Parts: sequence; C-alpha cells; structure tokens
Amino acid sequence: MQGLKILLQPNVFMQLTINGVAMGMIYTLMAMGLILLIRAIGVMNFAQGELLMLGAFITWGLTYQVKLPFVLMVPAAMLCFALVGVIFMFVVYWPLRTASYPTATVISTMGAAMVIREIATITWGSLPLVSAPLIKGVIRVGSLRLQYQYLLTIVIGAVLIFLVFVLFEKLYAGKIMQAAAQDKYAAELLGIPTILTTAVTYIIVVTLASIGGYMIAPVFLVNVTLGTLQLRAFAGVVTGGFGSVKGAIVGSLVIGLVESYSSTFTTTYKDAVVFLVLIVVLLFRPQGLFGERVADKA
Amino acid sequence: MNDKTDNKAIADPNFHSNPNFHSNLNFHSKLFQSKLRKNTRLDGVIVFKIVTLSVALVAFGYYTPRFTNDYSMMIMNVSLINFIAALGLSVMLGMGGQLSFAAVSFMGVGAYFVANLTNGRLGVIWEPVPALAGAVMFAAFTAWICGSVLFRLSGTYFTFATIGLVQVTWSVYLNYRVLCGGPDGVSGIPVIRFLGMSPRSYHDWFYILLGFVLVAGFLVERVRKSRLGRSLASIRDNEIAAQTLGVNIYRTKIIAFTIAGALSGLSGGLYAMHSQFISSDLFTFDMATTYVIMTMLGGVNNTIGVFVGSILVTMLPEWLRPVQRYLKLSYGVGVILLMIFMPMGLAGLGNAMLKKASRKLSKNSRVKPDADVLE
Repeated sequence: MQGLKILLQPNVFMQLTINGVAMGMIYTLMAMGLILLIRAIGVMNFAQGELLMLGAFITWGLTYQVKLPFVLMVPAAMLCFALVGVIFMFVVYWPLRTASYPTATVISTMGAAMVIREIATITWGSLPLVSAPLIKGVIRVGSLRLQYQYLLTIVIGAVLIFLVFVLFEKLYAGKIMQAAAQDKYAAELLGIPTILTTAVTYIIVVTLASIGGYMIAPVFLVNVTLGTLQLRAFAGVVTGGFGSVKGAIVGSLVIGLVESYSSTFTTTYKDAVVFLVLIVVLLFRPQGLFGERVADKA
Repeated sequence: MNDKTDNKAIADPNFHSNPNFHSNLNFHSKLFQSKLRKNTRLDGVIVFKIVTLSVALVAFGYYTPRFTNDYSMMIMNVSLINFIAALGLSVMLGMGGQLSFAAVSFMGVGAYFVANLTNGRLGVIWEPVPALAGAVMFAAFTAWICGSVLFRLSGTYFTFATIGLVQVTWSVYLNYRVLCGGPDGVSGIPVIRFLGMSPRSYHDWFYILLGFVLVAGFLVERVRKSRLGRSLASIRDNEIAAQTLGVNIYRTKIIAFTIAGALSGLSGGLYAMHSQFISSDLFTFDMATTYVIMTMLGGVNNTIGVFVGSILVTMLPEWLRPVQRYLKLSYGVGVILLMIFMPMGLAGLGNAMLKKASRKLSKNSRVKPDADVLE
C-alpha cells in the first residue's frame, strides 16, 4: 500500500512513466529486430542482447578510442553495424538454412551470443566503461527532473519505429523484403534476390539493436552484462504477440512501464514482477495482446 | 533373391494361388532367411552394445578415480550431477521436442529443499536420504503444477514461459532470505548418509553418484521404450497427427515435464549435499542455456550422448585452463560449428558411422537403414 501511495503522487508517476517509456523504447528496438527475424527466417535470435551490447561497445570504441567527432562517428558506426549484420547472417543463419532440425538454429544463435560476448570481453575487458550522455543535464518541469538522455531515447526510438514502418508498409523495397520473408520459394521464382533481402533484414536488425545499445550506454555503463536485457525484449515480444511489429512495440512499452512502476513496490523482485506479468499475460491470452498465430519453427 | 520374382510377387495379386507356386518356394525360403539374418544381426548389435557399455562403464568407474586428484574428481562428480539434470532435458527436448529452460528452476527447488531440511535452519533436521527423496517428490510436484499451467501454451510460447519461470525462480533464490539465504546462499549442508555410512572424499562420492546416474539413465531408457516415450515421439514429430491417433497431448507433456522436474530435483539435491553450499548463481538463465547445450552437444535423444555431452561441457573449462582467455570463445564457435555440421550431436555422428560400418559389414544387406531424423 505504501508503494501504491508513492506511485500515485503525480510527479513520481510522471517520472516513472518517462523512465518506463524510455526503457520500453530500448526493448522495442530489440523486439522489432526479433520480429523481423522471425518473419524472415522463422527463428528466435538468442543473440539479440549481445548485439545491443556490441553496439554499445562499438560506439564507445569509436568515440573514446578512435576519438571521432560525433558527425563522423555516426556513419562509421553504421558501417560497422552493417558489417556485423552481414557477418552474423553468414555465420549463424546461412549454413543452417536447410537444417533438418530447427532447434539447431536456435542453439547456434546461443553459441553466437557466447562468441560475441567473449569477443567484447577480450577486446574491451570486463570492467564497465563510462560513456557520457549525448546531451548532459536534466530538464526541470515544475518539481519534475527529467534526464535529457531519457527524452532523447524516446525521440530516437519513436523515429526509428516510424522509419521501420515506412520501410515495410510504404516503400516498394519493404514490400519485396516482406514477400521474401513470407514465401522464400515463390519470391525466388519472381526474381527477388532473397539472399540480399535477408542480408538487409539482418543489417536492419543489428542497427536497431546497436542504436539501442548506444542510447542506453550512459545509463547502464558499457558492460558485457548488457546482454541480459534481451530477456526483457523477449518478454515484450511475447506480451505483444509473436506475429506483429505493432504488438512488439506495445508489449515492450508495457514491459518497460511495468518494470518502472514496480520499482515503487519492490526493488529486489523487479525481475520477478516483469516475468510474472509475462506468464500471466500468456495464460490469459496465449497469442499475446496483438497476437496473430504464425507458424513457428522453434 | 532376384528382382524378377520380387516384381512378379507385387504385380500378381493371385501370386499364392499361382500354379507355379512351388517354383517360387526358393523365393520364400530366401525371404525367411533374410528375415532371420536381420534378426540375428539386430541381436548381435544389442549384445555388442550391452558388452561395450558395460566394459566402458567398468573402465570408467575403475580408472577415473585412480587417475584423478581430489579437485578433478569434484569436477567429474559435478558433471555426473549435471548429467542427471540434462537427462530430464533430453526427455523434454529429445523425446518430446519441447525446448524447456526450466531445468535449473527445479534443480533449485530440490537443492533448497535438501539444504533447508538437513542443516537445521528451520528447526527440523531430516536424515539426508529422506530429504533427498522428499526433494525429488517436491520438485516433481512443483513441476507438475507448473507444467499444467505452462502447457496451456505450445511451441515457442512455452519456451518463453519457461524462460520467465527461470527468471522468477532465480529472482526468488537470489532475494528470499528466509528459505534461500539471499545473496549469501545456504551453507552447512551435511553430506549424504545411509545406514550410518557417509562418503569421506570426492572419490567415495563418485561411486554413489555413478549409482544414481545408472538408475536415472536406466529409468529414462525405459521411458523411451514405453508407451509414454512413443507418445512423446509422436508429439514431437507431428502434434496434430498424434492428436488424431488418440494421444492426450496435454497430459503426456505434463507427465514428461514432471519426470524432467523429478530428475532436476534429484540433481539439485545431490548437488547441495555434494558441495555442501548452494547459492543462486547456480540457477541463472546462463546455466539453463548451458544445460540445453549439454543436451544438444552429445545428441539430444541419446542417453549416452547426453552423458558424453555433460561430461565434455563440465570438464572443458578444466582441460583448457592454459587457454582460459579464449576458452568461452572457442566454446561458442564450437557450438555453432557443431550445429552446422552435426545437428544431432556426437551421438548422431556415432550413429551415422555405426550404420555405415554395419552396411559395409553385411555384404548383401538390402535393408536400407532407417532414415530417422532423431535416432
């Protein structure tokens, strides 16, 4: 009850909402990638959190080790993300696309997660690295103290979500990619280069997750344990429903808000609360909030 | 037999009432012989398997403690304990095709059950053996309850619900001070004691655990051959077809989950008594993936394969201590390569080689080896 009383104070509520939405945006960036991969190859990617972590490390390295200014850092980072995406695709997905046993593909993404984590540990060490926020300071609205980083995360997350929507719903290229994802064989008959569309999907997935990593770096420090955030993204995807990008966005925002609000009730059982919500949602609405059943491979 | 008679037999429906029947007697006797030969060959394979297994087991049981120091013996014991939990996973994943991460949750249930009832934290002190039995039953009961809730979901949804379960139980193990000791864990757990005897060293433990491993392995092999095992395999291969054939999918899955839970509980209880200290580090999501990899590495539907897999995964960090820095990296690369080149694990590779060899050995065997995906 104490927790509820604290939660219902208007400025605490606002503060937690902003924080929750910002975290939800990070989960959304990962969750959208998961959905895109499920659509394109039909398999869950267990390395999504590690991709986020790698994004945080790459941007940190470019900013503080190569010492590029922000204007140059962004294109360089994009190039790196694209490279990571292509490598990831050709290592983890391409040799396994004809595997007779679908769980094998899931296990190989777990192996990839391990490899990425170890490469990051060997390259940058296991100590957390400090990254300065893009815009320092806080903004005061009445008695509210809002960090610029959170607001920026929300804005950038929203822009990226909008761009993905435009790509997949409005542009011709997006339609081609969707066609290739839905029926590879038919798409190839129509002359769509599925290898190219899959590679582009992977690049988009890695870029989304990595930008999430860049945004979250000032809050959580650049650390190999960032990979554990992928569990929240999974929770978001499942809460929203597997098939739809819309569901992933709403589900991830719900997870972010639940996590944020629950901090007034309990700090120790925050993880448990998030996943209890997930299990409860699954029990009462197994197809998720926006669910449409998709054929699942794994 | 030559192909002409064969074709005739298929083409002519009145083959047996054919006046030339006696001229085909040769064909029948040959058919009979070939059947006989196939049976004896199978028996030979089974005898060969049993002999090899017993020899390997005796050699393993006899030589391992003699060539290992106390520390390596402890790691070996842990790998035997891991094997019991991985067996549960092989019932779920190998036989039933349900990817579950929940093994660590029920290991935790078993471990904390044993820990709290034997070290007197709660005011009661049980004998270790009844506590272990209680842990197995309690873990099975918990698994039954969780299973009947979680199996309202299927496929990937179920997998994610088990991930949720692992997170919830881990969070409880990490934070609940009364039963789980919070971040400090629970210590002071007595070793196993039966009829006044208790193991004095890790070498003694090895034989006790080997006994448990044998019993658990035998039980799982029985399950595989039983009605339950066949129902599970049918669910794995095609759920809808299994349902049409009258398999109660929900119930079968729950029973499998309960068996897996009981095995995990046993494994957790044994771990608690073996190392006399448990903490929440043992029951994280990372450990859960390690168990899945153990099961997949050896061969998901093969008891011996799972055994090899759990020993390899547990011992690898010790064997590769000199290259520790690159250990996990090579481990991850190894997992990817393994999935690319032999998704059925080491046992799949072994089976393929065995089949090739037996094909070469039996010269005129016309029986094509079964193209089973999983066995």
